[in-house]
Amino acid sequence: MAELKTDHLVLNMGPQHPSTHGVLRLEVVLDGEVVIDVIPHIGYLHRCFEKHCEAMTYPMVIPYTDRMDYLASMYMNFGYVEAVEKLMNIEIPERVKYIRVIMGELQRIASHLVAIGTFGIDIGAFTPFLYCFRDRERILDLFEMTCGARLLYNYMWIGGLSHDLPPMFIPELKSFLKDFRKNIKELNDLLSYNKIFIERTANIGILPADTAINYGCTGPVLRGSGVNWDLRKNDPYSIYDRFDFEVCVGKGEIGTVGDCWNRYMVRVREMEQSCLIIEQAIEQLPEGDVTSAIPKRVKPPVGEIYFRVESPKGELGYHIISDGTVNPFRVKVRAPSFVNLQILPVISKGYLVADIIANLGSLDIVLGEIDR
Amino acid sequence: MAVKKRKKDLHFFERIYLVEIIKGLLLTLKHLFKPKFTLQYPEEKIEQAPSYRGRPVLVMDNGKERCVACGLCSRVCPALAIQVQASETEDEKERYPVLFEINMLRCIFCGFCEEVCPEEAIVMSKDYELVFTRYDDAIFGKDKLLVPVEKLKDRLEFVRTQMRK
Repeated sequence: MAELKTDHLVLNMGPQHPSTHGVLRLEVVLDGEVVIDVIPHIGYLHRCFEKHCEAMTYPMVIPYTDRMDYLASMYMNFGYVEAVEKLMNIEIPERVKYIRVIMGELQRIASHLVAIGTFGIDIGAFTPFLYCFRDRERILDLFEMTCGARLLYNYMWIGGLSHDLPPMFIPELKSFLKDFRKNIKELNDLLSYNKIFIERTANIGILPADTAINYGCTGPVLRGSGVNWDLRKNDPYSIYDRFDFEVCVGKGEIGTVGDCWNRYMVRVREMEQSCLIIEQAIEQLPEGDVTSAIPKRVKPPVGEIYFRVESPKGELGYHIISDGTVNPFRVKVRAPSFVNLQILPVISKGYLVADIIANLGSLDIVLGEIDR
Repeated sequence: MAVKKRKKDLHFFERIYLVEIIKGLLLTLKHLFKPKFTLQYPEEKIEQAPSYRGRPVLVMDNGKERCVACGLCSRVCPALAIQVQASETEDEKERYPVLFEINMLRCIFCGFCEEVCPEEAIVMSKDYELVFTRYDDAIFGKDKLLVPVEKLKDRLEFVRTQMRK
């Protein structure tokens, strides 16, 4: 009998696969069940954001930044408006700075809750997702109360905010933070230290620190590998240097530093730190007018700026070039998810097909931001 | 290519996972007796705050629109959803829109039109249930956009007091 030949199998995962977190197509090369290579194909959500900006005035770009990382719209606004303000040398009121930080950190919690919940679903745990979304819902209620929208806020404007906080905001926020601390503990019992969950995530997709740095990973992906790098501490923007919080890194108490579980756990711990920042910001929140510094005409001088913030997904950078007119000459966005996605082939090689799902979930990508 | 080995450090009771499943089920059981946090949507609805940004509408004062067809809203709209055509009238305001159309497929509910309007003639309502079966239905003319001022009192109040006017 002639010898039977074996060959590699090419499998298409997506673009309509529920665990690819959007329209992402993964071309997976398999040897049996072992992954030889993963090639991500992106671009299904491309909306020409950067080219579109050139045809619009500076304030009109803000609603479009909402739609990049639609799970962290507040932070996308934050980065853009701070960049334009720096370009124009606008000094914004203290109250605006504090409200921006409160909103940004609330958004970080909301974004991490989605990341954690959907990661659970990918692995096969459905229940934690519902509890995560219950808490996220309360944050969205707070946002709706403030700026009138649940997902795409358009709240931060160049030089200020569209309007002030409603009177009920601070009490509601305080009661949310009180409940949320308990809910994190519940989440830890239910998911983080669950033996089934640990079995699926610990020692899977190990990303060594030097590889993470070489590939330019940022955010929880980098910190999960044990690198202490957070722009809020290392390159403080806005008023983050006034708050006392610690940068969470993967410690490897379960599994190895840099595996899926540690990346996941960094997010859980970051939510607690965000609560701390919000509590400090509420205490220091000054009175004042939030719309006083909004310029009548946004026309920055000729020049360019690169401004980076630590979005929930990692380093979000805006490179804006101004030619002195009301329209930006060029807006380039360094999207954290885009950079973090390229690590997927590296960490998936040699593991099983089912582990791709765990790896992708732990990277926490948003396709709206990757394709822009 | 060799499979990367996982570390197996669970003893027998942990490996049957029964303990973990029961722990999860106990939590679910606990939540069964707690107050519900869901709403039965079409029957129950959320009461929106005045800051809520629903579909943009034109304010109708004394049976006529407040709009003077200055065209600022269509100029500031990032999605190019608004089309205005002006004409003259015998009234005090001298100008009015012959045609005022908002393409609800393009509208992104950003609220810039409301913010820029000098006459408080266009505001965001609390209406969010927008369903169309044809593209033509999605282009709202004056017939669908005009809403009496009495229904928009709290939003107008909000715009006047909270926003930069």
